[in-house]
Amino acid sequence: MNTYQWLLVFHVTGAFLLLGGGAIAAALSLSALGRERPSEILLLFGLIRIAVVAISVGTALAFVFGLWLVHEAGYGYFDGWVVAAFVLLIVANAMGGAGGKRDQATVKLARDLAASGDAPSPELKARVHDPISLALSYGSGLVLIAVLALMVWKPGA
Amino acid sequence: MLALIRPDSWNFPLFLHILGATVLFGTVATVAIAGFASRSHAGYEQLLARVAGRTFLFGVIPSFILMRAGAQWIVGKEFPGDAKTPGWVDVGFIVTEPGLIVLIAIGVIAFMSSRRGGGGRLATALAVLASIYLLALGVAMWAMTARPG
Repeated sequence: MNTYQWLLVFHVTGAFLLLGGGAIAAALSLSALGRERPSEILLLFGLIRIAVVAISVGTALAFVFGLWLVHEAGYGYFDGWVVAAFVLLIVANAMGGAGGKRDQATVKLARDLAASGDAPSPELKARVHDPISLALSYGSGLVLIAVLALMVWKPGA
Repeated sequence: MLALIRPDSWNFPLFLHILGATVLFGTVATVAIAGFASRSHAGYEQLLARVAGRTFLFGVIPSFILMRAGAQWIVGKEFPGDAKTPGWVDVGFIVTEPGLIVLIAIGVIAFMSSRRGGGGRLATALAVLASIYLLALGVAMWAMTARPG
């Protein structure tokens, strides 16, 4: 295997962890939407931390090896599709991070409620269904799909 | 450098193939996570079995179809007619075709586990089989990107 192939393997592994982690987070948060007991919501949000680790490692791999690949393959760092992909990757991470911060408050409320009787709460339900959190999290996933499209089509390359 | 050049008409099937493969990776991982978690979270086995079952139904099956249809589409373009496919393509077929048996077994166990309240040996089997399938997907991903030989 040559350098290009090795770099591509690590870059694509990063993309798999990033998009796969997004799929894990989506599956678990969609499951949480249908639950009312605080301890169940707490468990599902807790498992999302595994997805966050995959997303973080995936982002780092995709970013670092992506930059290296641009150099190795002879593209320019200021080519439109390269700049757009990096900007969108930053936007996706910012959106996901903002959604995650809002989810932290939901986790804290779920933990408190679980410790004090584990009864369903309208406030917790409203937080789990918070449209801003959902828009940020799922919007982040859609932006990542747009990054994948840029990687495949490489418009202008 | 030749690996960088491909006709534009291959891009859409390639995009569908990669999108399907990444979502398949994530949803199979979710099934594995739910299986392992039900071994360590007593009292939540039913919930986790339901998560695994629904993820399989609404995530694993559609993404497998997307990944496999995209693969067939692009193989038809890259190796038309009776052209012999290279080893790295065959690795992909081995993971998706015989591997489908593993995937069906995961689905059956997820369904049975959900019906029986989750937990126990079914949850362990679900977690182990889903992990094995994840490893196979990893091997296929390596073969597709490194293209050895």
